[in-house]
Amino acid sequence: MSVLRPLDKQPGLNTATILLVGTEDALLQQLADSMLKEDCASELKVHLARSLPLPSNVNRPRIDLIMFVVNLHSKYSLRNVEESLRHVDATFFLGKVGFLATGAGRESHCSVHRSTVVRLARTYRSPLLFCDPEVDGFRAPVAQRLVRMLQICAGHVPGVSALNLLSLLRSSENPTLEDL
Amino acid sequence: MEKQPGKQAATEPPDSGAGGGEGEPPQVAGAQAARPEDRLTLLLRLRAQTKQQLLEYKSMVDATEEKTPEQILQDKQIEAKIEDLENEIEEVKVAFEMKKLALDRMQLSTALKKNLEKNNPRTSVLMDNMKHVLKLNKLIMKSHQESWDLEEKLLDVRKKRLQLKQASESKLLEIQTEKNKQKDDLAVMENSDKMKTIQQNLQMEIQITTVIQHVFQNLILGSKANWAEDPAFKEIVLQLEKNLTMI
Repeated sequence: MSVLRPLDKQPGLNTATILLVGTEDALLQQLADSMLKEDCASELKVHLARSLPLPSNVNRPRIDLIMFVVNLHSKYSLRNVEESLRHVDATFFLGKVGFLATGAGRESHCSVHRSTVVRLARTYRSPLLFCDPEVDGFRAPVAQRLVRMLQICAGHVPGVSALNLLSLLRSSENPTLEDL
Repeated sequence: MEKQPGKQAATEPPDSGAGGGEGEPPQVAGAQAARPEDRLTLLLRLRAQTKQQLLEYKSMVDATEEKTPEQILQDKQIEAKIEDLENEIEEVKVAFEMKKLALDRMQLSTALKKNLEKNNPRTSVLMDNMKHVLKLNKLIMKSHQESWDLEEKLLDVRKKRLQLKQASESKLLEIQTEKNKQKDDLAVMENSDKMKTIQQNLQMEIQITTVIQHVFQNLILGSKANWAEDPAFKEIVLQLEKNLTMI
């Protein structure tokens, strides 16, 4: 299948799967390790991919959350993410997609401007998180957030759905960006 | 909550067909070795999860049943529509929260009522709290009433001031109209014909008198009499010199 669809498979019992898409393998591996270290009642499965579409001959469980990791230091990762976005079904964007921007701390190395990523997240109506994985203190909270988001998107938290979370995470519109 | 060991990570290269490394059986089997309470908790949790997931699937089915418009909309229109829908969602959420709040309040009040009926109503701390609350409410209402009365008085004073101002304004207006009327009357009178004839007569009289003055002057000068010696004579001559148009 060339397009990822949510809810096209049956969910695994007590299982939640997250797909991390990004060009930097080391970074994705670090994030995956931090997430797996987190204390979570349900079973977590982390899939890493450099870009979409995923090969169709692999039997994989239902994907609950896709996080697109953009490294602000390289334009290639942004372009990669933009191309991969085409292979995701529209119904995924109802709360099951998120953007993670890394490297915003070192302003001098950023070749992708922060507002580009913000605009991308706003076009796709998805939440945008920032992370600096080189700083040790940042990795654990981001992993915690991701685990919590994953639990909600997989339906493991009664009373909160992915769409609900999406409207909760919606930040107020920045007026200066609106004028642009 | 019980810890679930055995979380896994898997990489998927985009080109090669080597699959990810998952494949451990789910940890439900591992929980059978745990105590029965843990099993019960696990089962309850699984039940909640399955319920939530069922809800998600159901809502997705309902969503797909709705017809999507076929025409191609512009970007801005799509964005506006999306925002409208999001606002609808927010409103529904808010309404739901308010209803839940009202429901909670009702439940709380009935539970409180039942509790009061059960316990001895005279001695409980709850009664003291409620009496205190009632006292405070009375104070609040009294001060509200007082502030209301003061505001009424303020309003009355302001109304009176406004009335006085209006009255003074009308009086000043009257004065001004009277003055203007007087000025107009004066102007009219000055331009009337009677005044003109009177003025003409006056002018003629002045001219006649001036002529007579000149005649007398010339008579006296012609008679060559010495008018400077006699003071009465001098006075008469000087008076004849007076220019009548300057009076």
